[in-house]
Amino acid sequence: MKNTISTPVDRLDGPDKASGRAIYTDDIRPDGLLFARTLRSDRPRARILDIKLPELPDGYFIVNKNDVPGRNRIKMLEDDWPFFAEEVVNYVGEPILLVVGPDREQVNQILKSIEISYEDLPPVLSLEDAITAESPIFGDDNSFAAYEFQKGDPDSAFDAAKTIIEGEFKTGYHEQAYMEPQGMIGSYTDGKLTVTGSMQCPFYVKNAMVQLTGFPENRVQVIQATTGGAFGGKEEYPSLLAGHVAMAAIKTGKPVKLVLERGEDLAVTTKRHPSVSRYRSAVDENGRVTAMEADITLDGGAYAGLSAVVLQRALFAAIGVYNIPNVIVRGRVLATNHVPSGAFRGFGAPQAFFAVEMHMEQIAAELGMNPLTFKEIHLVQKGDTTATGGVLRDEIKIREMLNRVLKLSDYRKKEGMFASRKGRFRNGIGLGIYLHGCGFTGKGEEIIQGTATVRKLAEDRAEILVSNVEMGQGAQTTLRKIVATTLELPIENIDYPNPDTDRVPDSGPTVASRTVIIVGHLLESAAKELKARWDENEVLSVSKSYRHPSYIQWDQDKLQGDAYPAYSWGVVAVEVEVDTLTYETAIKGVWAVHDVGVAIDEDIIRGQIEGGILQGLGYASIEVMDTENGAYRQRSFTDYIIPTAVDAPKIESELVDNPYEYGPFGAKCAGELPIAGAAPAYAAAVGHALGIPVHEIPAKPETLIKRVEK
Amino acid sequence: MVKTYHPETLTEALKIRNETHALPYAGGTDLMVRYRQGPGLVPAFDREVMFIGHLPELTKLQEKNGEFAIGACVPYREIIHHRHTPEILRKACSLIGAPAVQNLGTMGGNICNASPAGDTLPPLAILDTHLTLQSVSGERQVSLLSFFTGPGKTILRDDELLIGIHFRLPHFTAEGYRKVGTRKANALSKVAFAAFMLKEKDMLADIRIALGAVAPTVVRSRELENRLIGQPLTDLANLMPDLLESYGTLIQPITDQRSDANYRKTVSLNLIENFVLKEES
Repeated sequence: MKNTISTPVDRLDGPDKASGRAIYTDDIRPDGLLFARTLRSDRPRARILDIKLPELPDGYFIVNKNDVPGRNRIKMLEDDWPFFAEEVVNYVGEPILLVVGPDREQVNQILKSIEISYEDLPPVLSLEDAITAESPIFGDDNSFAAYEFQKGDPDSAFDAAKTIIEGEFKTGYHEQAYMEPQGMIGSYTDGKLTVTGSMQCPFYVKNAMVQLTGFPENRVQVIQATTGGAFGGKEEYPSLLAGHVAMAAIKTGKPVKLVLERGEDLAVTTKRHPSVSRYRSAVDENGRVTAMEADITLDGGAYAGLSAVVLQRALFAAIGVYNIPNVIVRGRVLATNHVPSGAFRGFGAPQAFFAVEMHMEQIAAELGMNPLTFKEIHLVQKGDTTATGGVLRDEIKIREMLNRVLKLSDYRKKEGMFASRKGRFRNGIGLGIYLHGCGFTGKGEEIIQGTATVRKLAEDRAEILVSNVEMGQGAQTTLRKIVATTLELPIENIDYPNPDTDRVPDSGPTVASRTVIIVGHLLESAAKELKARWDENEVLSVSKSYRHPSYIQWDQDKLQGDAYPAYSWGVVAVEVEVDTLTYETAIKGVWAVHDVGVAIDEDIIRGQIEGGILQGLGYASIEVMDTENGAYRQRSFTDYIIPTAVDAPKIESELVDNPYEYGPFGAKCAGELPIAGAAPAYAAAVGHALGIPVHEIPAKPETLIKRVEK
Repeated sequence: MVKTYHPETLTEALKIRNETHALPYAGGTDLMVRYRQGPGLVPAFDREVMFIGHLPELTKLQEKNGEFAIGACVPYREIIHHRHTPEILRKACSLIGAPAVQNLGTMGGNICNASPAGDTLPPLAILDTHLTLQSVSGERQVSLLSFFTGPGKTILRDDELLIGIHFRLPHFTAEGYRKVGTRKANALSKVAFAAFMLKEKDMLADIRIALGAVAPTVVRSRELENRLIGQPLTDLANLMPDLLESYGTLIQPITDQRSDANYRKTVSLNLIENFVLKEES
C-alpha cells in the first residue's frame, strides 16, 4: 500500500539553489557595509601580555573584549566560552579582536601589522595531558561533564562470567564540511540589533545576543539567511560570529559582515569529538553477553560548549541495538587546548556505535563465533529495555530489516567466500546495526516546549511560522508537504519564509533530527485545527506547543528511563576491496534498510540516507584530521579529504513502513540516523578483508600498512 | 594589483620576459591558488604577470614520425583527447584534479610548478622527455630530469620561457601507472608510479621506472634500471631484494599532513616489485 505522503515531490528550494539565484549570507551587500576579519591566537595556551595596534586610518575600527556591552560569554550550558579572549587564550584560533573597515585588503593589512606578545603556558594537548595537567583548563579536574549509570546487577554478572572480553576503540575528528562557510551580518539601527546569517538555531543566536548585549528581547532580531549546509556545525558556533558582528555593528553604526574563509573555517570551528572507549563484557557458557561495561571519553577542546549533551547521547547509545541485561556505563568529556568540539550529525552516537559494534565483532571473534549470528542473537525486541532502563514500546522491525540487507547484499555467501581469499586484492564485508533516539535527549523537549504556528493568509493560502530552518536537509519541502496535505491545499500555496525571530515562535533549534517528528507533528496538529476552523476568519493563526507523551518517564539526575520518545532504526552492509600493494580501499557496494516510521518524502529520505552513509564512510576511511601543537594540520579541502561523487559507491537503500503514533503521518526521525552504522560496517569489512580487527577510525592506509607489514 | 602583460606573439612574450622577468601565467590553476588572498580580493602576486596561455606558438600539439611535441600551454584536456598520446600520459592527465582543472591546467605549468607531487612528471620522466627553453638570446634543450633542482625550483632563468615538451613515442611490452591519492578525484598524490618494460624472448631488454611525491623532485635512476636490463627474466626475483634496498635509499619521502614517510616508502617499493615481477600496477 502506497502512503501518499511518501510519494516524492520536487524539492521546493532546489531550483534557486541549483541555478545560483539563492541569496546566501555572502551575497547580501547592504549600503555602507563594512568587512570584519578576526585576529586569532596562534598559541594553544598563553597569557596575552601586550597587543600593539597600529594607528588606524579613518573609517577603520578595532573591536575587542572592551566592546562587550553585556557579558563576554556565549550563552550555552556552562557559559565559559568568551566571544573575545580575555587575559588568556586557550586554543589556536581563539578570537582576540576584529579589524573592521570598508576595504577588505586594507583590513587584512591592518590585521597583519598587529603584534601580540604572549607568555606561553603549559598546554593540554591530549586526553592523557588532560588527566595529569597541573593547572586544569576547566574546574578542578579538567572534566566538562561526567556521568555514570547502571542497569541490573553488572557486578554479579561479571563475577559469574565464563569469559570476560575487553577492548579499546578510538575515533578521530570529523569535519562537517558544509559547502557554505560560516558567515554573519550585523546591523544596528535605532537601538535595535539585527543579525542575519547562516545558522540552524535562530533562538540560540537570539538568546546569546541578549546575554551579550544586555538588551531587552525586543531590541534583538535574528534572521536566518539561506544556509548552504550545516550538519550540526551551525548549531552553536554561529552565536560566536553573531556576537562579533553585533559588537562591530553597535560600535561602528554600520552593517558589518564576517564570513570565514574556508581555511579559517576548517581551522577554528567545532568538529565531532574524538573519542576513546573502553569496553568490557561478561559472557556466559552459551555465548550470551550477560553484562557490558562501557567507558567513553571525549575530547571537548577548550570550552564546554554542548559537550555534556553530546556525551549523554554517546552514553545512551553505548550498548547499541542489543539486549544486555546488566549494564554499567560511564563517560566524561575532558578539556584540552584544542578547538572546542561540538555538534555534528549523530551528536555522540556515531562514536558509541563504532565502539559497541566493533566490540561485538571482537567478542564474536574471540569466542570463535560468527559475528553476524552473534549480533543476531543479542538484538533487542519490543518490550526490552535500553541502557537507561527505558522501555522499547513500539514495534521493532530490526530482524526483518537485517534479513532484507543480508539478502540484498548476498551477505552470507560473501562472508564465507571472502574469508578464504588470498592474493593482492582482498574483499571483505561488514555490518552495522543501529538506532537513533529521535528529538532532544532526556528532558530537552519538555524544557524547550517548542511552539509552531500555521496561519491562514487567504482562502487558498497559509503560512508556516517556525524557527526551524532549511539547511539542505529538505525542511522547506517536508514541512510544507505536511501542512499542505493536512489543509488539502497545493504545496505551492504554503509559504515558509526563512525564520525571523520577530515573526516566528520559538519551535526550538534545527537539531537532533527533531524537525519532522516534533515540529512537523506540531504543525500537523495546528493545521488540523486550522482546517476545522478555516471559515472562522479571513486571517487566522493556530499555534501548538509540545507536550511530552504522558507514558514517557525520565529522571535527569539518575539518567534513568526513556531517554527519547521514539527510535528510528537502520541496518547497513558494506563491501570493500583492499589493494594490498597500497592498502587503498575501494567500496564495492552498500546495502541499507531503514525504519524512519513513514517517509514524508521518499526522495528526501533517500538523500538523507545516501548522504549520511557517505559521510559515515568518509569518517571511517579517508577523512583524517589531526593536530600538531594544538592546531589542525589539515586546513584546506586539498588536505582534509571528503568523498567526491566519483568516490560515492552505489547505495542500494530500502525503507520499511512502521508508523509512529506521535509523528506527523507516522514519521519518526531520519537526519542523523544513517551516519551511525556506516563506520562500523566499513571497519568490520576492512577487518574481514585483511584478517585483522580494526578498532580505530579513520582506518587509513598508513595505519593498515603498519599493522599488516609487521 | 600588479601590472599584467598580454603579448600577441611568442617573440613579444620573450621580449617582455627579458625586460620585466614577469611571472608566466598559462592556465593559472596553481598560481591562482598560491597567491589567493581570500574571498572578495584579487590574488596578491609578488611580481608582474604575463599571460601566455593563449599564444598560438605554445598551444600546438603534434606527432610526427614517432616524435611527440607538446606546446607548453597545451591543456591536459587536449592531451587526454589526442589520439597519439601515450596511454601512460593520458592516464596521468586524466587523474589530475577534476574536469575544470583539466580544461585549464597545462603541461608546461605542471612542469614549471615543479611540485614533488606533479602528476605528469613520472610518465614524462620515463618517456625520456626533453624541454625547450627559449629566451631573446637563444634556445636550449634540457632533459626533464635535469630541469628540477628542488621542490618548486628549476633551472629556468628569469628571462626564459619553457616553450615545448618533446619525447619519442616508446615501444614497450608492458607499462604501469599508479596514482596513490586519497580519493578518486581532486586528490594530490601520496605516491605516483610510472614504468615501462620491454621483454625480448626470455630477457629484460629495457625497463624504466619513475616515482613522484617521494623525494624533492621526480625520481628516476638509469643506474638502477641497468641492473635489471639484459638479465634473464627468471633472475629478476633474485635481484629484487638488493634493487629494492637501493631504491629505498634513493627515495626520501616525507611525513606531512597527507601521509607519512613509512607509507610512501613501503608503497613505492611494493609498486616497483609488483611491476617488475608481475607487470601490474
